[in-house]
Amino acid sequence: MNPHPLYKLGGSMKSAARMALMATMVFSGAAWGQDAIGYVKTVAGDATVTDGGKAIKAVAGTPVKLNSVMKTGAKGTMGVTFKDNSVMSFGPDTEVTVDEYLYAPAKGDLKFGASMSKGALNVVSGAIAKLKPEAVSLKTPTGTIGVRGTNFAVKIEPQ
Amino acid sequence: MTLMRNLLMGVMVVPLVVGCATPPPPPAPSPKLVAYAVLLDNADGSAGAITFTDANGTVAVNRSKNAVNLDGATAPYTVDDNTLQKDFGAIIAARPQAPASFLLYFESGGTQLTAESQALIAKIVADAAKRPAADISVIGHTDTEGDANEKLGLQRAQAVSGLIAGAGLKAVETTVTSHGERDLLVKTPDNTAEPENRRVEVTVR
Repeated sequence: MNPHPLYKLGGSMKSAARMALMATMVFSGAAWGQDAIGYVKTVAGDATVTDGGKAIKAVAGTPVKLNSVMKTGAKGTMGVTFKDNSVMSFGPDTEVTVDEYLYAPAKGDLKFGASMSKGALNVVSGAIAKLKPEAVSLKTPTGTIGVRGTNFAVKIEPQ
Repeated sequence: MTLMRNLLMGVMVVPLVVGCATPPPPPAPSPKLVAYAVLLDNADGSAGAITFTDANGTVAVNRSKNAVNLDGATAPYTVDDNTLQKDFGAIIAARPQAPASFLLYFESGGTQLTAESQALIAKIVADAAKRPAADISVIGHTDTEGDANEKLGLQRAQAVSGLIAGAGLKAVETTVTSHGERDLLVKTPDNTAEPENRRVEVTVR
C-alpha cells in the first residue's frame, strides 16, 4: 500500500548509484516497518503487545517486535502471524515474550526464541523451523521446548 | 549466612527449650504446576516433533496428541480429545489463517509476466482482502542467465508490487526484496535459461 520511500527513487538513479541503493533496499527490506517481525491478526477481549517496554492495546495490525511481550487478559485471546509464516495463538491469561528473532534466509540468519510464563499457546511453526529446526525454541518456567517443524500447544497453569 | 544459621538454630533449639511448644510449620509446598506440551496434526495431516529439555534430560514427542509434562520430565503420554478441546479449543479457533504463497513467472530477461501469471494478480489482491491486517512479502528471483540478476530480481519484485498495488491491494506492510539467482527452484549451471527460476514469490499473511 505504502511503497518504501527508497522504492520510489529507484528509476531516477544512475547505474552505479542504483546498485548501491539496491543493496540498501535489500538490506532495509528486513528493517522496514520499524522492525516489525509479525502482526497481530485476531483479537477478542483484552490483549496487549509491548513496544519499547510500553504495553499497547492489541488490534488487528498491531506490530510485534523483538522483545515484545504479548499478553492476554482473563477473557482475552489473540493471534499473531510472524514474517517467517509462524502462527501463534494465545488463550486467556497468557504471557509470551519474543527473546530472539532473525529471519534473513538469503544470509542464513535464522533464529526464533520465545519464552512463555503462563497460559495456553498454540504454535504452527514456519520457515525458520523448516530451514533450521535447532534455531527454534520456547522457554517455559521449568524447561525448554524444541520445535522440529510442527503444530503444537502448551498449557502452563499454576494451581 | 550468619543470620540464616541463627534462624535455623532458633527453630531447632526452641522446641527443646520449651518442650511441648507448637512445632514449626512445615515448609509451604511449591505450587503445583499443571503444565504440558502436546503435539498436534499439521495441516497436511502429518505430525512433526517437539522435544522438552530440563535438568533431568530430553524427552522427544513425535506422535500426534502425544504430550510431555513440563514439571519433571516424564515419558510421553496420549491426551484425549475432550482434554484437548477443553484446554486448547478456543485457542485453535482463534488461530490466524495460514499464510498463502503465490508464484508468478516471467518471460526471459525482463519484467514481463507470463500470461498465466498475470491472472494471479487479482487472486493475490482478493486473498489479502479476506485477511485482517494482511502483510505481504514480494521476493524476486532469476535464472542464471545474464550477470545482473540481483537487480533483475528486484525489478521483477517491484513490477509485481506495483501491479498488486495498482489492483487495489490493502496491506499494513509490503516488503520488496531480491534473492537474484541465489535461490534457484530448479538447480542449473551458470548461464542457463530456466523458466521455473524466473519468478516472484508473493506471500500473503
